[in-house]
Amino acid sequence: MSEEVKPAPQVDEPMDPATLEAELQTANRKLAEAHKMASLGRLAAGIVHEINTPIGSILSNNETTRRSLDAIREQLIAGDCQVPAKALKLLDSVATLASVDKIACERIYGVIRSLKTFARVNEGDLRKMDVRELLDSTIKLSSSVYRSRIAVDKDYGADVPEVECYPGLLNQVFLNLIVNASQAIENEGTITVTTRLEGDRVHIAVSDTGSGIPAEVRPKIFAAGFTTKPFGEGTGLGLTITREIVEDTHGGAISFETDMDNGTTFHVRIPVVQPRAADQQSEQTRQESS
Amino acid sequence: MEKNGSSSPSQPVILIVDDEEMVITSVRAFLNLETEYDIHGFTSPEEAAKFLETQAVDVVVSDYLMPKMNGIQLLGRAKQLQPEAARVLLTGHADKQSAIQAINDVGLFQYLEKPWDNAQLLLVIQSAIERTQLFRSLRDKISELDTAHSSLKDVQSRLLRAFL
Repeated sequence: MSEEVKPAPQVDEPMDPATLEAELQTANRKLAEAHKMASLGRLAAGIVHEINTPIGSILSNNETTRRSLDAIREQLIAGDCQVPAKALKLLDSVATLASVDKIACERIYGVIRSLKTFARVNEGDLRKMDVRELLDSTIKLSSSVYRSRIAVDKDYGADVPEVECYPGLLNQVFLNLIVNASQAIENEGTITVTTRLEGDRVHIAVSDTGSGIPAEVRPKIFAAGFTTKPFGEGTGLGLTITREIVEDTHGGAISFETDMDNGTTFHVRIPVVQPRAADQQSEQTRQESS
Repeated sequence: MEKNGSSSPSQPVILIVDDEEMVITSVRAFLNLETEYDIHGFTSPEEAAKFLETQAVDVVVSDYLMPKMNGIQLLGRAKQLQPEAARVLLTGHADKQSAIQAINDVGLFQYLEKPWDNAQLLLVIQSAIERTQLFRSLRDKISELDTAHSSLKDVQSRLLRAFL
């Protein structure tokens, strides 16, 4: 394995008009990207709301139907009259269908639940979240694209606490890393998602068994506008925004290690407590103790 | 439009309000299978409010987002009309704000999210009925005490008058 590569620090230097122009263009595209994510979040929340009522109705009806069928079967058998075998067979077949419907509905409901967690893009508040819950919803939603060829292994530490974060933004980080990992795997492979507590930070690692990042590309992957994907597929902003969310918004750290034979691992480290919230907390403690 | 079954005085009365007919149908079918409750369903919250003006109800289960009158407004009206009837919000629009508003403004008994779990819904309705009936019997006991108290006072004043 090669050494972990960290994004180059940004240095404030006087810039020439061409650089400023380029920066402005990047900023505009980031803004457009943020708008897109926000409207996707609103769309998802709307879909969740629209589906909750009918799926609730179907789930309820399904249970009532299955219970009623059981009751009908019991009454038929308990009765004195001869029940035609054909009728019992039909009853059993309807009961089987109802059980299949139950499983089908629960799958839809599972997706809706993930979408609900994911749609928190709109929630601008800093809040405590279990990163495993965010990872699960992201994996569930993105897996439909690669499920047939890529296995996802989860290795979640038992002692990982909730972290103070902007859940919608962290979802965006995890989605970017998982989608990148799935695209790095050409045919079949495995994505491993690991979470661990490391001192006062939670460490999230996303590894793929893909092709690795070529040495000449490595220094550029966090740069705005840089993409290896075909025109129209990548914006070249995914990892730039990911780095900003992790480092600037959450005061965390992002790095990667890559190997042309064994694939790539991205490491994200997020503080358990955000500095501002920690200040408020200690201030509160001071006030309480005084 | 009112859609109800038969009623007898001992049966707990449940009011279900949702602008989606399918929710009423589903909840009613489930409760009919599992219980003997007297179930009344309304797709219009305004008509449900009218019903509350004349009929004693044990539990009101209401949706949140409905045209003309939302669930919190309806439950607020229910609280005015029949304070002892338990209020349950069953909503597909799960946001923190509506939950907090409902709990604070209308003294909600339970906040449930769609899709709901039938077993949980039944448990909530059962305990809501129990609570309502306890409230009612408490109210009856208090009024009995009041009557007893005033007749005691009456006896006391007559005794005083007889002896003084």
